[in-house]
Amino acid sequence: MTTQVAAEVRARAGAGLGAAAGGGMGGQDYRTVFLNEPQPFKYCSNAICTAKYRYKLLFFLPMFLFEQFRRYANIFFLIIALLQQIPGVSPTGRYTTLVPLICILVVSAIKEIAEDIKRHRADDELNKREIEVLKDGQWQWIKWRHIQVGDIVKVRNNKFFPADLVLLASSEPQALCYVETANLDGETNLKIRQGLPQTSHLLEARDLMSLSGKVECEAPNRFLYQFTGNLKETSRPTVPLCPDQVLLRGAKLQNTNWVFGLVIYTGHETKLMKNSATSAPLKRSTVDRQTNNLIILLFFLLIVLCLIMAVCNSQWPAELHWYLSLDDLSVFNFGINFITFIILFNNLIPISLQVTLEVVRFIQAGFINNDINMLYEENNIWAMARTSNLNEELGMVKYVLSDKTGTLTCNIMEFKRCSVGGNVYSMSDGSVQDLIVLVESGGPGSDMARQFLIMLAVCHTVIPDRDEGRPDSAIKYHAASPDERALVEGAQKLGFVFETRTPDCVVVDVLGTKERYEVLNVLEFTSARKRMSVIVKTPDGQIKLYCKGADTVIYERLGDSQQFRDVIVRHLEDFAGEGLRTLCYATADISQEFYDKWKNIYHKASTALQFREKKLEDAAQLIENNLTLLGATAIEDKLQDEVPETIASLLKAGIHVWVLTGDKQETAINIGHSCHLLNQGMPLIILNTDSLDETRDTINRHVVEFGEQLKRENEAALIIDGKTLIYALTPDLRKDFLDLCISCKSVICCRVSPSQKAEVVELLTRETGSVTLAIGDGANDVAMIQKANVGVGIAGLEGLQAACASDYAIGQFRFLARLLFVHGAWNYSRLCKVILYSFYKNICLYVIELWWAAMSGWSGQVLFERWSIAMYNVLFTAAPPLVMGIFDRSCSAETRMKYPELYRESQSGSHFNWKVFLWWVWLALVHSVLVFVLPYFSMTQDVAWGHGRVGGYLMVGNMVYTYVVITVCLKAGLETDAWTWVTHLAIWGSIASWFIFLLVYSNFWPVLPMAPDMAGIYLQVYSSPVFWFGVILIPLSCLLLDVTTKTMQNSVRKSLTEQVRESEISNKDVSKVLDTKHRLSETARLLKNVFRRTTTRVNLEVELAHGYAFSQEEHGVMGQSEVIRFYDTTQPKPGGM
Amino acid sequence: MSGPDGDGVSNTLHMRMLERKVLILDTQIQELKYQIVRNEKKAADEKRRKLESKFNQKFKQQRLPAWQPILTADTVLPAFFLIGLLFVPLGAALLFFSHSVQEMELDYTDCKSVEAGVSMPCSEVIRKSNFTAECTCQVNFTITEPFKKTVYLYYGLDNFYQNHRRYVKSRDDNQLLGKDITSPSNDCNPFGMSDGKIYAPCGAIANSMFNDSLTLYDAGKDEKLKLIKTDIAWPSDRKIKFNNPPGKLNDSEAFKNTIKPPYWTKNVWELSDDPSNNGYKNEDLIVWMRSAAFPTFRKLYGKIDHSMIGFKFGFPKGRYYLEVQYRYPVDSFGGRKRMILSTTSFLGGKNNFLGIAYITVGCICLLLGIIFLIIHIKFGKRAVDQLNINQNTPYSD
Repeated sequence: MTTQVAAEVRARAGAGLGAAAGGGMGGQDYRTVFLNEPQPFKYCSNAICTAKYRYKLLFFLPMFLFEQFRRYANIFFLIIALLQQIPGVSPTGRYTTLVPLICILVVSAIKEIAEDIKRHRADDELNKREIEVLKDGQWQWIKWRHIQVGDIVKVRNNKFFPADLVLLASSEPQALCYVETANLDGETNLKIRQGLPQTSHLLEARDLMSLSGKVECEAPNRFLYQFTGNLKETSRPTVPLCPDQVLLRGAKLQNTNWVFGLVIYTGHETKLMKNSATSAPLKRSTVDRQTNNLIILLFFLLIVLCLIMAVCNSQWPAELHWYLSLDDLSVFNFGINFITFIILFNNLIPISLQVTLEVVRFIQAGFINNDINMLYEENNIWAMARTSNLNEELGMVKYVLSDKTGTLTCNIMEFKRCSVGGNVYSMSDGSVQDLIVLVESGGPGSDMARQFLIMLAVCHTVIPDRDEGRPDSAIKYHAASPDERALVEGAQKLGFVFETRTPDCVVVDVLGTKERYEVLNVLEFTSARKRMSVIVKTPDGQIKLYCKGADTVIYERLGDSQQFRDVIVRHLEDFAGEGLRTLCYATADISQEFYDKWKNIYHKASTALQFREKKLEDAAQLIENNLTLLGATAIEDKLQDEVPETIASLLKAGIHVWVLTGDKQETAINIGHSCHLLNQGMPLIILNTDSLDETRDTINRHVVEFGEQLKRENEAALIIDGKTLIYALTPDLRKDFLDLCISCKSVICCRVSPSQKAEVVELLTRETGSVTLAIGDGANDVAMIQKANVGVGIAGLEGLQAACASDYAIGQFRFLARLLFVHGAWNYSRLCKVILYSFYKNICLYVIELWWAAMSGWSGQVLFERWSIAMYNVLFTAAPPLVMGIFDRSCSAETRMKYPELYRESQSGSHFNWKVFLWWVWLALVHSVLVFVLPYFSMTQDVAWGHGRVGGYLMVGNMVYTYVVITVCLKAGLETDAWTWVTHLAIWGSIASWFIFLLVYSNFWPVLPMAPDMAGIYLQVYSSPVFWFGVILIPLSCLLLDVTTKTMQNSVRKSLTEQVRESEISNKDVSKVLDTKHRLSETARLLKNVFRRTTTRVNLEVELAHGYAFSQEEHGVMGQSEVIRFYDTTQPKPGGM
Repeated sequence: MSGPDGDGVSNTLHMRMLERKVLILDTQIQELKYQIVRNEKKAADEKRRKLESKFNQKFKQQRLPAWQPILTADTVLPAFFLIGLLFVPLGAALLFFSHSVQEMELDYTDCKSVEAGVSMPCSEVIRKSNFTAECTCQVNFTITEPFKKTVYLYYGLDNFYQNHRRYVKSRDDNQLLGKDITSPSNDCNPFGMSDGKIYAPCGAIANSMFNDSLTLYDAGKDEKLKLIKTDIAWPSDRKIKFNNPPGKLNDSEAFKNTIKPPYWTKNVWELSDDPSNNGYKNEDLIVWMRSAAFPTFRKLYGKIDHSMIGFKFGFPKGRYYLEVQYRYPVDSFGGRKRMILSTTSFLGGKNNFLGIAYITVGCICLLLGIIFLIIHIKFGKRAVDQLNINQNTPYSD
């Protein structure tokens, strides 16, 4: 019924298209692709470009400038630079802001170009992949980017589709092919696509060449599951095309030797690219946002300061001071003075901060890229920071939201254990050998064991495949369900080799003898039935039903007095505890008469026009009865390396781990167990409802149950289904739902769509204000990755979609720990230091102007020489913050990895907040006062030499400036935890650079037409003993305060990091510090955790406790029971030449 | 080889078992081979990495060796004591040097005109004449303690803002360099040009040059003390920054097409009789042109000529008086004018501040040192040790 309707719809859509086709060619609404003919239109190229600056040099400059001047700071400095051009206004000359600004823009530009080149390279890697294209009757290898609409391509097994294709023919019967779409939607099972019967015979290049006509299809759009089109072969009736014929870019061909496809959408017009927003959203870190607020605050402070200055200036009795001769100048203009002061104080806002940060981040990103401990050696994949703006955000992560398939798991299923006859046989310790021995010995229980193994080899819909012409080569199994493949492979290892499938029978090699089982019926798996059965005729003519499925459904259908009923339940619990996926196996002997009767019923059901599904289910119900329990299997959904360990340390670091998966609830929970996110006995709150009201009730009930403990961390886990999530995310439930989530230690969302993943992330990010990190590997995770504060992509061998959309790409999930604990924490503390220090050093220098203004008639005269201050941020104090941001580190990487608790410090943002900022500002003010007042008092008599001459204002200015440079550089040293030789170079070098600069610069005039006021100053400065005594005294007395407070803190109230750092440096056992702490917190938690929850959904809980899971596509283009009827593996497959 | 049936069965069974064992061994061998290949690859990789420079490697892996200072009471203690012990004596020495400097200050702002019949302060005299008249005044002073070193004569101004932004920049360094300029820099306005003639030198600084003449007399002998007016400016200024234009120092050659600044009474080439100390190279001008840092400042006026009899070893005690050609008005802005006689130490003039500062900081360091010592004794046990209590830890009463 449904299929009929669908066909009708398709036909109508086709007709509509046909009608529209008359209107015009290649219009907006649809596209016509001509077969084996040049296309009349030039379509989008298949080259993709995710780089920021697409058109390289031509548009780089305007785009770059636009980007740069979107930052307030840069606009501000541009305005300052423009203001300086007004004659007579600037106290510091005309170019002292412009030149540093240009320097800084150039550095930014270099960084941007370097980053963009990297992106171009990544794109190139994709664009340069090769594929076979039919050209002039021959298959030619061309690069992906050269593929055009209308090309016919041949895609081989395990390869990605280079563009959106219409499936024409394949190596499999009926133009069937298997597609893995994990990359697109995150589902583990394979999907079946089938070409039209009209094209399925085109098995060779020759045939394809003869094809003529056109394909009409809708204009490119972003709907993954929607497609309408028509195939119009010349002089043949129009045939409608539907999503079943479409192979999307990003998906991968599986279990199919090759397919032929017609390219219909290319490059950025493919559905995949339409889906991944081409321009990744600009993300800014928390620290960045805070910094921006500080800058705005400083800006207002600046305005206030300048207003005060301007008022004081206007109150100052300049007219009395005849020698100034100000009366005939327009100096009493309040506005002009105000501008003067703005120019004077503009550097309170650190001009170099942005560029320092950019350089630091760029190099930090380089550290991430080059970290050998994050190298996935297997595939030679290095971690990659695709953006460097979020380096420090990695140190503040509170929530990790992870995808499952491909991220936590490898998407490889392996047969691990089985329980037969009351014993557990394990693959890993070789005890399965005993099972074979048991079968061969023929002792008691051997019959059951044999039955069990035969069932493994027979009861499935797997298709065997051997390489052409090599009958003795290893058999490859193609299955729509990875579980089944694992089972058949397991049976193969145990000597029960499934060899051949023909439409009506299977051949199994049972320990050397071939046995032929006639497959009478396959009762398909559905998630409602939770089981699948086959009815076979054994070689000795018996009819048997083999049924495998969830223990709950199997146990319901068992006959009386089952011998191992309870033992197997116990084994299932054990399996589930390890996070293995379990299935139960049962069989039934069926008499010929009963079967004949049943066959009729079943036949009727399968041809029924109404409620076919229901009727089929009822029919199956009839025969799946009175079963005999054979045993159970446990399959491992293989986790990636060190996943449980990584999750454990993430949890230890106070990070909440949520799993968002497109997979089923059972699978998700299994994985939750196997990666120790869930443990046995942990109460699970399962939200699995069908309506809004029900959801509301459930959520409210749980909220009430939590009571006091709501919004605190509890030893509980929440599992929610995608369908329920829709209701839970409605505006009125959202808040309660989130509270519930926050109250749980971990949350698992299953069967969620990509957009739901993004919604969850967005909700969490927005409502809690905590830093979220999303990690995933497939295209289905792209939305989530882009929405989270930090997006991490797993760069597998397959699909780079997620990696391309991510901020950081890593080879494996386990590297996340290092990325956060080492790089994140280090970068956070470094960057905070750099930012605070940049504010500090500018406040320290420029506030001196304020003190001096009180002594210079509020005139805005600069105490220092103009270019000396212009160089302050560019030269004399540029290196220390850079080095601090690059080389500083507290606690070694090993310690940080070993003791994730250290992460909590950066996570709580304790290095950068108002308190810390104000403390630094206070220090800056104290330093500026000391650094000005001490030289002032030492120079009150103007004579600082034995020869009695007097110095001018620049003598004092340069003295003060020297002290500022020394103090500020040493302050950087004081804040540095680890002094490498580069740090030494930067700090001492910066100080030395000023001394050298002064020496050189005072010799410019009159050879170079600049700095006449500085001429010979070096002689005055360097020959003065007062100056040199000040060099020793003043920086030291400034830093006395810092050293004292720091020492006090370290001696009396030591932070955890500091304790660990100290013990590490003095080679003590670090664990002592931490273990004690840990023990304390453990007991605290035990005391706190008095919360217990009553379980309600007993049945579900049992099932969960027994770890049932099975994945297979449902409601696909063709049922598995039909698919297997097409295959005859005794026949050779077409070669597709 | 035709044994009984049972034997055959067990034989085939045995064979199969062996076969499977071989199979298992085979897979194990495969795995080992794979591992070997991987290890080889790893080794090759490592070799490549080793070839990379050591710095680069350590840098990239963030493993550069580093000195990691720990700031705790016990580590900073010695430094604090050391600084304290060094600074206090150093400060004392500085104080000693400062005390060795002898200084005499004389405020002559309100000194009365010596002219018969005029009994008002010179400042008023010149104001009444609209700053055209000259006024001479005398101030007596006594030196009770003889000065034992070279004595410098300074003039000091109070509340005079030489550091005002408009004032500081109001000069043309190219002009002072002796370059032939056709128009002075805009900074000189409004003292740049007048009727097509350039002010020599231009600008507000030069225009407001201090022009009181100070002369010292020995009151007993009524003898004028000789002052050395050269080498009072910085050699670098004399040699580099200030040069006369070529030609003779008069209005037809070097200073043609120039006029004197409006507030000046003399032309720039009439500042001194000594041709090497004249024009832009006049040291009084040079000294004045270097703007002072603070509104209260002093500038070197001259050095006592110690070749005079009795002055060989300094400045003998006795009664003296200062004669001032009072021209410079300061009362409009409440300024003061001072004459200062001072010797110097190697640190310059008399200033106790540096010594006091050193002693203060030294004392603070010592005090902090003591505090840290107490803290160290009280809290000194590192947290690690404190927390590490085991069975062997003795109970304390």
